[in-house]
Amino acid sequence: MLKLVIEKELRDILTSTKFTVSFGACAALILLAFFMGAAGYKADVARYDAARRENLKQMEGLTDWIMVRNNRIFLPPRPLASLVAGVSNDIGRTTEVHGRGELPQDDTRYGEEPVFAMFRFLDLEFIFQTVLSLFAILFAYDAISGEKERGTMRLSFANPLPRHTFLAGKLIGSFIALAVPLLVPILIGCAALSLLGVPLSADEWARLALIVAAGILYFGAFLTIGIAVSAMTARSSNAFLALLVFWIFAVLILPRSAILIAGRAIDVPSVDDINAKKFRYSEQLFTEDRLKMSGFTPAKTADMRKMVEEFQMFMGQIADERQKKMDEFSTRLNEERANRQAVQSAAALGIARVSPSASFSLAAATLAGTSVSMKDRYLEAAQGYQQTFGKFILDKTGMNPGGGMVFRMRTGDAEKPKPIDTHELPAFVFTPPVLADVLPPALTDLALLVLYIMVFFAVAHAAFRRYDLR
Amino acid sequence: MLRTLILKELRAILASPKFAATFGVCSILILLSVFIGIREYRTTESQYGEGIELAAQNLRTQPSWMGLTTTTYRAPDPMQIFIPGVNNDVGRLSGINGFEDVKLKNSIYADDPIFALFRSIDFSFIVQVVLSLFAILFTYDAINGEREGGTLQLTFSNPVPRSTYILAKLAGSWLGLVVPLLVPVLLAVLLVMLYGIPFASGDWARFGFFLLVSLLFFTFFIALGVLISALTQRPATSFLLSLAAWVTLVLIIPRLGVMAAGVADPVPSVAETEAEIDAFSKDRWDQQMKEMEARWQTRQEAMKGMTKEERGAYEQEKEKEWSADDEAGRMSVQKDIDGFAVRVNEDQRNRKSHQEHLAFALARVSPASAYQLASMSLAGTGVSLKSRYEDAMREYRTAFTRYVDRKQKETGGQGGFRITVDSQTGFHFSAPRERGTLDVSDLPAFLAPVTRFDETASGALIDAGLLAVFSIMAFAGAFLAFLRYDVR
Repeated sequence: MLKLVIEKELRDILTSTKFTVSFGACAALILLAFFMGAAGYKADVARYDAARRENLKQMEGLTDWIMVRNNRIFLPPRPLASLVAGVSNDIGRTTEVHGRGELPQDDTRYGEEPVFAMFRFLDLEFIFQTVLSLFAILFAYDAISGEKERGTMRLSFANPLPRHTFLAGKLIGSFIALAVPLLVPILIGCAALSLLGVPLSADEWARLALIVAAGILYFGAFLTIGIAVSAMTARSSNAFLALLVFWIFAVLILPRSAILIAGRAIDVPSVDDINAKKFRYSEQLFTEDRLKMSGFTPAKTADMRKMVEEFQMFMGQIADERQKKMDEFSTRLNEERANRQAVQSAAALGIARVSPSASFSLAAATLAGTSVSMKDRYLEAAQGYQQTFGKFILDKTGMNPGGGMVFRMRTGDAEKPKPIDTHELPAFVFTPPVLADVLPPALTDLALLVLYIMVFFAVAHAAFRRYDLR
Repeated sequence: MLRTLILKELRAILASPKFAATFGVCSILILLSVFIGIREYRTTESQYGEGIELAAQNLRTQPSWMGLTTTTYRAPDPMQIFIPGVNNDVGRLSGINGFEDVKLKNSIYADDPIFALFRSIDFSFIVQVVLSLFAILFTYDAINGEREGGTLQLTFSNPVPRSTYILAKLAGSWLGLVVPLLVPVLLAVLLVMLYGIPFASGDWARFGFFLLVSLLFFTFFIALGVLISALTQRPATSFLLSLAAWVTLVLIIPRLGVMAAGVADPVPSVAETEAEIDAFSKDRWDQQMKEMEARWQTRQEAMKGMTKEERGAYEQEKEKEWSADDEAGRMSVQKDIDGFAVRVNEDQRNRKSHQEHLAFALARVSPASAYQLASMSLAGTGVSLKSRYEDAMREYRTAFTRYVDRKQKETGGQGGFRITVDSQTGFHFSAPRERGTLDVSDLPAFLAPVTRFDETASGALIDAGLLAVFSIMAFAGAFLAFLRYDVR
């Protein structure tokens, strides 16, 4: 019986014009998202390489590693970030590394090029979130009520057909008829990625597969709620209206409002306040150090070079001490803020997850590595690089970077110092998170999507049990 | 005849349960969006006030004029309640000092990425996405629904000219959808006044224009629905087509246009241009160092053969002149670097502007983009937000550095510290004369650029005109399509 119902549903859907037209549109949009993602990724890589080249170029000709002032590192583009943008365009991508001290991340994509902030990007996550859910609603809204209107429901139930079999058959049939064909453009898109020269590691392929799985689950959730609502009314037009309202609230309104209302309700220390505190503290430290500098007297020797060296070491020393105090102070303030942000995040996202759309977006962003934690991960990697860079400069010059001062000897040296080889500079390596890292947090949202499907199915079941079939 | 038909249409719309439901939802969403907009504005306002206060405090506690640095902030604009645009994406503040160029940083979304995940819900978003969807929902079966129901045939059994009928359809649908929505809009305005948001008369003018543009946008979708209905026989078909049109126009084309422009006309990143400027700066300072060494050599030459007392006297006599020379050298370096930076930035800005024009041209295929551009122009939260403020802040920086230089000369001394290592006199270190607090009471204040109605309105005129054209075309299309419609 169940098999028959499923087959009937498959045939009904696959032979309809509605399917041909809307599936065609969906497929076109999915392929478009993949192509634009690939094109965007390659453009981003070109800019990234150009930025790194310029960074090395501006160091050329320097004769001492201690003179390197503006070493910049950049957030490297990754293919998954082009498919699921998340917050990757909102966080700063450029960081100036000085070997110690703060690492402010500047130059967000949207901040640098506001034209993209106006209309934003068409990525795979957007297509899944808005178009797939509409696609589901389009087929689910008249699943039950449409059959009643057409009179075929009465026909079906003239046979000894249990209600739950009919419902299950409807759901499974629709799901197979719609989700399986969707895999075709998705697979073509993935193949296009490799053909267009966008390299994905095995780990990234796995994560992409999970993102697609999340999308399919999300689609299933909307299909189920669509059928449920269809089983609550006798007229399809009412069902569609109700589902449209549901769609608007779930996809467009709820996630945004939840974040804004819950997020603002939690107090987080402001960036301006923290920066002002740091500024004042650093002024204080500088004033103290200036007194120390006034009191400096080098050992009495006739060798000027020795005096300069001793002074440089002294300067380096007090700079190191000053930096340590500053670092402690900064770290304390930054940690306070980060903790409050974590609380804010948990509250805001927790409430937002009432919408399956938010769950899907979060799952996709976490799997792609472009969730809110992306900023912290970049900062961590930058801090790691800062250590590497600091050690490198220490090895090369015997001083911590930024601490010493460069002296020009007016002794008429005949020998010209050799310029540094910029290629010796350690490169910044930012590895995207691996599956093992992102799976646990993404699992919450994936499980939530499954839960939604089950709850919606229970609702559909309860509604259909009392449905007037005539 | 026309009046009767219009009334019939109005009654049909207003009495339907579809209307009650969608009107309720639209009202709730309009009020919600304005409520959230007001709260966001309040947050921005208090952030701005706090920032200004902190900047003033920091100025007072700096010990010397040399290297004096402050921060300028973007001022909040009440229109951001309705159209935040790129306000949260562009930096809120910039450091102002003598050695760094102005750059807006610390945007709201960069500081708190949690809000960037789903972004904001505002009045223009509701109009753009929700109201247009509901317009289509009501009009997709305007013609073919009546045909299927048989009432079209009934109507035309009377001597009704087709033009009258279609005019009545369009007018009736428009009145039935627009007039009720004025209620939540007026309530929203009331809400804004109740919360005491400072709206100047120019702001009200801009808001009025924005409502007009929103109305045009809504009208287009009403006409589009009727048009599609008059082109198809079955409501099921027109429904699908209307939905597809909505998805394409509202969701797809704006984003696609901009992305295509980004790929077709890429602009070098700020990281590249900054590194370019850094390289130039380094070379220029190198040059200056060499010049200073040469100067020092000639000075030493001049003092050759003098006794210690003669040397001391000579140095004292020449000190002012030497300081002035060194200062002039330094200032010429700074001027050159600033000039280079200005050229590089201008070049960058031109390329960006070119890319933007391409992006907008591609996106304007859809009335949704035209609507977004028009409303962001009016609120001043479009792409011009960043350049407007950066220009104003750069001007302020000039005034600021001039002020600081003047003060430095007045109080005498360079500040900072001077280190001399000489083979004869040994090692000397001199620190600046410390002062308690600086008197910054006559420091010029940064005046945020004011968005005037005439400026913003002229910017929005193109897109408003485009929306009008779209609407007229849709109306004309519906009209013409119905003239050849099979009413049986």
